[in-house]
Amino acid sequence: MVMKTRIAIIGAGIIGVMIARFLVEKGVNDIVLIEKNYPGSGGSFRCATGIRASFTSPEHVEMMKRSIELWPILSEKHGFTYRRDGYIWLLSEEEHVEMFKKIVEFHHRYAVPTKIITPEEIKEMVPTINTENLLAGVYDPLAGKADCFRALLNTLEYVKNKGAKVLTRTKAEKIIIKDSRAQAVETNKGVIEAEKIIVAAGYGSKKILKNSGVDIPLENLPKHALITEAYKPLFKPLLIDWSTASYIIQVLHGGFLIGANMKEKPDTIPVNRIEYLYLAVKIWSKYFKWLPYTRILRYWTGYYVMTPDHHPVIGPHSRIENLYIATGFSGHGFMMAPSVGEIMSQYILGEKLSVPIAKNLKLERFEKGKYVKEIAIFG
Amino acid sequence: MIDFSRGRKVKFYYNDKVIEAYEGESVLAALYAIGYRVFSYSPDGERPRGAFCMIGKCSSCLSMVNGVPNTRICIEPVREGLRVYSQKGFPEVPKVEEVVEAETIVLKPDVLVIGGGPAGLQASLTLAEYGLKVVLVDEHFKLGGQLVKQTHRFFGAKKFYGGIRGFNIASKLSREVMDNENIEVFLRAYAYGIFKNGYVGVAVRGEKPLNLLVRPKAIVAGVGASEKMIMFENNDLPGVMGAGGAQTLMNEYGIKPGERALVIGAGNVGLIIAYQLLQAGVKVHGIAEIMPKIGGWFVHAAKVRRYGVKIYTRHTITKAIGRDRVEKAEIAMVDEHFQPIPGSEKVFDTDLVLLAVGLQPNYAFFSQAGAVMKYIPELGGLVPLRTKYLETSVENLYVAGDASGIEEATTAFIEGEIAALSIAIKLGAGNNKTIKKREELLDYLWNEYRKSPVVMRACQGKLKATVSEEEMEKIRRGELDGI
Ligand SMILES: Cc1cc2nc3c(=O)[nH]c(=O)nc-3n(C[C@H](O)[C@H](O)[C@H](O)COP(=O)(O)OP(=O)(O)OC[C@H]3O[C@@H](n4cnc5c(N)ncnc54)[C@H](O)[C@@H]3O)c2cc1C
Ligand SMILES: Cc1cc2nc3c(=O)[nH]c(=O)nc-3n(C[C@H](O)[C@H](O)[C@H](O)COP(=O)(O)OP(=O)(O)OC[C@H]3O[C@@H](n4cnc5c(N)ncnc54)[C@H](O)[C@@H]3O)c2cc1C
Ligand code: FES
Repeated sequence: MVMKTRIAIIGAGIIGVMIARFLVEKGVNDIVLIEKNYPGSGGSFRCATGIRASFTSPEHVEMMKRSIELWPILSEKHGFTYRRDGYIWLLSEEEHVEMFKKIVEFHHRYAVPTKIITPEEIKEMVPTINTENLLAGVYDPLAGKADCFRALLNTLEYVKNKGAKVLTRTKAEKIIIKDSRAQAVETNKGVIEAEKIIVAAGYGSKKILKNSGVDIPLENLPKHALITEAYKPLFKPLLIDWSTASYIIQVLHGGFLIGANMKEKPDTIPVNRIEYLYLAVKIWSKYFKWLPYTRILRYWTGYYVMTPDHHPVIGPHSRIENLYIATGFSGHGFMMAPSVGEIMSQYILGEKLSVPIAKNLKLERFEKGKYVKEIAIFG
Repeated sequence: MIDFSRGRKVKFYYNDKVIEAYEGESVLAALYAIGYRVFSYSPDGERPRGAFCMIGKCSSCLSMVNGVPNTRICIEPVREGLRVYSQKGFPEVPKVEEVVEAETIVLKPDVLVIGGGPAGLQASLTLAEYGLKVVLVDEHFKLGGQLVKQTHRFFGAKKFYGGIRGFNIASKLSREVMDNENIEVFLRAYAYGIFKNGYVGVAVRGEKPLNLLVRPKAIVAGVGASEKMIMFENNDLPGVMGAGGAQTLMNEYGIKPGERALVIGAGNVGLIIAYQLLQAGVKVHGIAEIMPKIGGWFVHAAKVRRYGVKIYTRHTITKAIGRDRVEKAEIAMVDEHFQPIPGSEKVFDTDLVLLAVGLQPNYAFFSQAGAVMKYIPELGGLVPLRTKYLETSVENLYVAGDASGIEEATTAFIEGEIAALSIAIKLGAGNNKTIKKREELLDYLWNEYRKSPVVMRACQGKLKATVSEEEMEKIRRGELDGI
């Protein structure tokens, strides 16, 4: 099979789908999405659905702020739920409170409206929480969540209706490059010739690029998550227990999703560990004494696709023409997907970037040793 | 007829009303006995839901028990002073005054048996005979599985309890298991998954909740099956019930499930349930069967026909009618594509629609364990591939009974025993006689019992699910994707 298209996007996760969405919105419909499994089967359907701009580098903050402008527009247009329900960091140690005071100052410089709140204020927003050991919280009212399933599937339906094609169960092996120009994608089902090729295949991007002679420093970091049965809405914000870097969120359909840190080696295949259930329940039953009486419905594993500076790779390749990359979201790719989709469409169509600082996120930064700097590692 | 010896009287509260019940009953049975029919509502809180499966498999009886929501009251035993509330839609988070911390216990038996139905009971007893230490867990508050509601005498060889009534076999085997010092039994104990390093997590509910971490050398999962549902308007209306659910009410608890019934499906289960309903004094309007021919045995069909029960072949149910319980039900004739023919509808005044449309093996435990599964229609759905010794592609995980594909109780006993003998041989507890015994059983199962034309279909299914040991090795190495 030889197929021809104007744009080939490898990977139908939320990133690939959003790139396609912003392209069709500008009248580019000749698009093929190449997906080795089924849409959403990578990180996108395993995520905790959290969205925030309260980061500690200008690059992250600006990209996420743009995303937060786009999320309500997308939710309205494609009919999925997005809500500004907030985030709260729960702080139980003095030094953390001091550190967060600096972070809040940084946020304010970038017009991100976080603030330090008292345990009483936390209790008001989070009924039933035990605040005994808490000194303070940090509240981000701009943060929120969206339905990760409908966000991807509805948007995909939209781009398909506009003429984009999706090839599922089709694995991209390499990109055929001639005279420093990307020309086609070789897949297990044949070759797809394209004018522009976008690699948005999560960790799979590493192998595709390597087979094409391009190195990208990605690591796959195993993560665990569980969700309980659904309950009536209890609290809106996503909560982060800062001393264990673990979070709990009541997702939009009502289940409580918990993510907690397990020690895992990068690039290993995650397995179900019973210790994870113990760890997650132990951390959060200190705050919610009802938690041990709920039923865990599902437990799954997934990956954070990490880069050395924990910032994504977004943009064109510096030496290979017509090759574009969007991966390495280091655990934040869902929230960033709308602005990434927009920026990528701007790169592809030669338009001005709506988030100028995004230019710092190209792959070449690693070759030049220009890592993105953060004021603190956080979240 | 059967005698019901009732337990001691106890009182509990339902929506703050005092309810009298008998020890040994489930909360749902006690409520059903005095006329309750609605036990929960759909997530949006709009549609009432009634009892459907009665064995903890369908979620339509989720209620709040002592502050804990989403409790399945069909497998919750009545106790003095229990406080039960109905739920409307999604519940609020549990209200707990005082946290009773679940103790964690690590157990390292030779074998973990999951499920105390005929397959699990027989497996446990055989393993214990070889001196192996067994932990047996079952989600229900009593042993016996589906056997406790079989009132008829079993066919077949005496060795496999021919001539004895199902529930009598269940109580005999349960007693033997309870008295056996090589077998430790945990009830209300749900095996939820298998984890790294071979630990199986088991959650034990009750006054003293436990977290069992069981690390056995081998596992027999005889986790049984669930009743199938079919699509029609209002199929969630209280009064639409699985045949097994009605059997549980009548045969386990001596409760009449309704006044007038329509049975859907004329396989053996449908025919038997119709007969049992008649015996319990329920009027049976008829049996609708979508196929042109009756699926069950002639003797069973003849029996219900003698009572004047009409069997409508080429008919299916098209809707249940009623506000918060079934008041009427409509059936219609179907064309060659199984589509209802307009104008052929018949409506019955009925308060029960009993679905006897088949069972589906419980596959979750095997899928989670990573066993290679196969969809086999003849066996009711997804089942793990296995060798003839019943070992799955997950080494030392064995399957037996309905979970390995729907047949009936006799084969569940036999498979339980074959799995147990294979484990005994593997763990070095057996001898040449054990091997011989296993070969004889296999011979009986495949060359005699399953040769009967009435079990042809299931037999063909089991053949499809069984691979040779060499093939299984290849499947384990990932060289073969399954057959
Ligand atoms: C437990 C967990 C919680 C998370 N929580 C959050 C959160 O709260 N907020 C947030 O923003 N992010 C969160 N994330 C991260 C987020 O899920 C990811 O960053 C995001 O989904 C990345 O999207 P993607 O499209 O780049 O990748 P994916 O969704 O992984 O999509 C890549 C796709 O490419 C396909 N593919 C791979 N190789 C090939 C190939 N060779 N050929 C064809 N197709 C290929 C894959 O099958 C996959 O479908 C979380 C992640 C995990 C695991
Ligand atoms: C309506 C109906 C009518 C039937 N009529 C007849 C008949 O007339 N004659 C006949 O021979 N057979 C009949 N059968 C079939 C027969 O009862 C079954 O084939 C037999 O009981 C299967 O035995 P089993 O041990 O495989 O499973 P079951 O008897 O179903 O036992 C499985 C047990 O496993 C437990 N369990 C499941 N999952 C877990 C878990 N994760 N953790 C802990 N415990 C778990 C369950 O609580 C249950 O007690 C009928 C079945 C039904 C449903
Ligand atoms: S779960 Fe209780 S009736 Fe089905």
